Amino acid sequence: MKNTFIKNTIGQIVSFAASMLLLCLIWQGITILTESEIPGPIATWQVAKEMFAEPFYDYGPNDKGIGLQLTASLWRVFLGFGIGSLIAIPLGILMGSSKFIMRLFDPIVQILRPVSPLAWFPLGLLAFKAAAGATIFIITITSLWPTLINTSFGVVHIPEDHKNVSKAFGFSKFKYLTKILIPYTLPHMITGLRLSIGIAWMVIVAGEMLSGGSGIGFFVWDSWNGLSLEKILVAILIIGSVGLLLDKFFNTLKMAFAWENK
Amino acid sequence: MPGKINNLLNLLTMKNLTQEELDLLQAEEAETKEEIAKLLAPTAIKIKNVTVSFKSKKGLYTALEDISLDIKKGEIISLIGHSGCGKSTLMNTISGMVNPTSGEVIANEQVVKGPGPDRGIVFQNYSLLPWLTVFQNIYEAVDSSFKNISKEEKKAIVEKNLKMVNLWEHQHKLPGHLSGGMKQRVAIARAFAINPKILLLDEPFGALDALTKSAMHIELLKLWNLDNRDKTIVMVTHDIEEAIFLSDRVVVLNNGPASTIKEIVDIPLERPRNKKEIVHHPKYKEIHDKLLSLLIDKFSISDY
Repeated sequence: MKNTFIKNTIGQIVSFAASMLLLCLIWQGITILTESEIPGPIATWQVAKEMFAEPFYDYGPNDKGIGLQLTASLWRVFLGFGIGSLIAIPLGILMGSSKFIMRLFDPIVQILRPVSPLAWFPLGLLAFKAAAGATIFIITITSLWPTLINTSFGVVHIPEDHKNVSKAFGFSKFKYLTKILIPYTLPHMITGLRLSIGIAWMVIVAGEMLSGGSGIGFFVWDSWNGLSLEKILVAILIIGSVGLLLDKFFNTLKMAFAWENK
Repeated sequence: MPGKINNLLNLLTMKNLTQEELDLLQAEEAETKEEIAKLLAPTAIKIKNVTVSFKSKKGLYTALEDISLDIKKGEIISLIGHSGCGKSTLMNTISGMVNPTSGEVIANEQVVKGPGPDRGIVFQNYSLLPWLTVFQNIYEAVDSSFKNISKEEKKAIVEKNLKMVNLWEHQHKLPGHLSGGMKQRVAIARAFAINPKILLLDEPFGALDALTKSAMHIELLKLWNLDNRDKTIVMVTHDIEEAIFLSDRVVVLNNGPASTIKEIVDIPLERPRNKKEIVHHPKYKEIHDKLLSLLIDKFSISDY
């Protein structure tokens, strides 16, 4: 048992390393093809080392370390995602529980869901009179849909058997909510949250490019203006890695609450 | 009964009774009392002209048509019939999960308007909540049914009922880790824990293997006995042997749609019944054949 676990872990590490090596090879190939117009992995690594040497320096509003930019972005994402989830989960439960509310809200959801985050930005600016508020606003409004849809889907599909238990033994509304609805819906909800945080993390880069000031998106744009392609590549890798970690986190959370596997 | 009364009168007119005769007298008196008590037992469930129709895509579907049935307190009744004959629907009108289109059901002297804790239900597929432990599954039911007792008292009720079905040591397990028979015992313990006057069992042993099923029958009767045979039990089944072994009366339903009661068969086998001996009882064979003929009309390939 323990042996297979170790073998599996080693296998995973080796395949991950091989995958990264493959990425670097493709990257290097592109660098050669573009005659070093796009910097290769080694040149990028040199710049990355400088950036990571002092990640939290702060030389005024337009010159901050990568660590500070990243934390600024993460903070905005969590704020926007948090507000979005606080709207999406209760509304999703209501939509799933009542056919009337579902019919009332579903068309609105279907119309607003495909709207690009950038289209919301001017409205955010108008409403909040500030770029920071607008960025959080677009994250909120674009990241709430997967959570909303998954939560309502989960609630709609609560098995009749479970509802019958609640009826037969006279569960109160509160008991139904806490002992049947939420436990059953939780895995769906977390899948929704996982998709939502993915969207939020995608939107933040675009949002910060528009809003400027700070954050990883602003950093990418600023590096472009400063013609440092290496910095952009480092930022891309950071964005990718953080996205992966956020996804893994919610996946782990889902596993922890999935009663089917217990 | 008239024979017994004659016997009694004969004995009473005699002046000197031997000990043997006295014993006989007492035994007969007890038996008569029991029979009288049975006849006088109050009605626990009264089904009055119940018709149930459902709206379906093809129009109105009538499942049950004008069914009337009286069930006495402490009786065990089996509803038997082919799949889709509406036996579960009939039971659900007692539980309150299904409202009759016309007619009414009176349970415990009240018109059934919806489910209530005076009627415990054991569902066909156990219906345990998979994220709650065995203990919690029963506790939540107890918590909902008894409003005015303390947490400790509620826990004691759960403990008592889990011990009754020999599952106390499995109290921390999730239902997913239990065998079918164990799950069914949890479901039965849950129904008993809320101490309902009426117990409704919807094909409770359908998913169990023959050996486990047999053990569960005895378990159920044991629980019923422990409770002074006070609980009225209505069970849906399609198993003839099960129906005979457990019930006082077997209600045979016609095939749907618009099912009615085909016949009510009395099972006058004395309790406690013994699984092994009962099958050799001449009465058993007679009842078994009768039920079989009521349910099946072709017995051999040559009947086609």
